[in-house]
Amino acid sequence: MNDPIIRIENITKQFGSLKALNGVTNYINRGEVVVIIGPSGSGKSTLLRTLNGLETVSDGKIFIDGVDIVDEKTNINKLRSEVGMVFQHFNLFNHKTALENIVMPQTVVLKRGRKEAEDVAHRLLDKVGIPEKAKSYPNQLSGGQQQRVAIARSLAMHPKIMLFDEATSALDPETVGGVLQLMKDLAMDGMTMAVVTHEMGFAREVADRVIFMDEGQILEESKPEDFFDNPKNSRTITFLSQIL
Amino acid sequence: MMDVIFAKWHVTISLMPFLLQGLLMTFKVSIFAITLGSTLGFVLGLLRTLGYRSLTGIIGLYLHIFRGSPYLVQLYIIYFVLPSLGIEFLNFDSFTAAIISLSLYTSSYVTEITTAAIYAVPKGQEEGARSCGMSKAEALFYVVLPQSLKMMIPPMASIYVVIIKSTAILSVIGISELTRQGEVAILRMPGDIMFVYCLIAVMYFIYCYPVLRFAKWAEGTFGSIGSVQDQES
Ligand SMILES: Nc1ncnc2c1ncn2[C@@H]1O[C@H](COP(=O)(O)OP(=O)(O)OP(=O)(O)O)[C@@H](O)[C@H]1O
Ligand SMILES: [Mg+2]
Repeated sequence: MNDPIIRIENITKQFGSLKALNGVTNYINRGEVVVIIGPSGSGKSTLLRTLNGLETVSDGKIFIDGVDIVDEKTNINKLRSEVGMVFQHFNLFNHKTALENIVMPQTVVLKRGRKEAEDVAHRLLDKVGIPEKAKSYPNQLSGGQQQRVAIARSLAMHPKIMLFDEATSALDPETVGGVLQLMKDLAMDGMTMAVVTHEMGFAREVADRVIFMDEGQILEESKPEDFFDNPKNSRTITFLSQIL
Repeated sequence: MMDVIFAKWHVTISLMPFLLQGLLMTFKVSIFAITLGSTLGFVLGLLRTLGYRSLTGIIGLYLHIFRGSPYLVQLYIIYFVLPSLGIEFLNFDSFTAAIISLSLYTSSYVTEITTAAIYAVPKGQEEGARSCGMSKAEALFYVVLPQSLKMMIPPMASIYVVIIKSTAILSVIGISELTRQGEVAILRMPGDIMFVYCLIAVMYFIYCYPVLRFAKWAEGTFGSIGSVQDQES
């Protein structure tokens, strides 16, 4: 079952003299959940951000569902709506209610009518478990609630792929579990996901594949049981011994 | 005592139509300058945040020129120097020169305010919008600007007050605004110089005070939109 929806071919990303990504080649299959781990500054966020065009690459190619997104002729905005992204700090629109956060991108990007967009938004708020918060502004919501709204906002665009960049790192310990459960449910529904996280329990349980990055390179990848119980690369071993 | 009050009352009544004419001119010039200057400043401030290096440089130079020299000098250059270049188009009458110079002066402040307000919106707001598939322009229009506009209102109101007061300088090129009208009035009633200046000050105050109150009100109203308590939950 090799059906890559994302293909990454030898990409590099240079910030001045720093190589944040240094020759990364990989793929993500349709419906696959890939967890990316690695030390701080290893390029995990940069990799995710290149996948939805928030960051351009310096070299290499990325194909999403067959479309070359590095090519300047590609409509990168349309592509971005197909690749949802959930951030560590939520990035909800501060001047809009939870409902409006979900409605507005639909009307602007997908040109959905107001009524339809609201129906979608209410349905998704139900799905993420906070229907009663529709009229609250982001600063009236807890971190966990904000992240649920952010996930709902992404889902409203019907993304083919969801990217999670440390989606639970900024949350209080008691709300982490709920958001992880939500991500797990998404994975169960068959969503293609790339997840950067420090939650090794989640990686073990939900990932189809775990990738270890360091210094802008992928050093090791394997199924979670092999990865955690039988790591091969010496830096993976060191890293795992530090966090487990 | 009564006769002093009566005399001042008499001065006030007889000068008032004259001074009101001046106030009207002050009002007119300042409204023109504020409208044109804010529009220009807003556009420049916005362009400056788009990250085109040469454009940013040119706007920076523009700001240096207008913020780094006294307004009086700018006014003289526009009214006295430009017409001497012999280009028909630059041969401004005093009213046009007043409007142009004051608008440019206003725009230099508004540019700074606009840029600052756009940068004050956290980067994550734009990234959130972009990750939903919005273009740069859509993110700016739907997400960033609505948040920065609110932050702009209080500093803009303060600038307006500065501009209103700056119109007094226009008397030097013969615009019959409030200060100029007052000076003419003093020529007619030299004995009441102190009183006439007080009258003028009060009239400026009457114009400026509501703007300042508005700034306060706007700060409270627009600043709290995100924190309005939710009645239903
Ligand atoms: N916009 C930028 N400008 C300059 N350098 C950057 C930029 N973004 C990232 N970097 C650098 O690129 C490297 C990789 O950063 P990245 O954020 O991808 O790491 P990360 O693996 O996500 O780390 P963390 O676990 O701390 O989030 C770091 O050295 C970082 O300082
Ligand atoms: Mg990161």
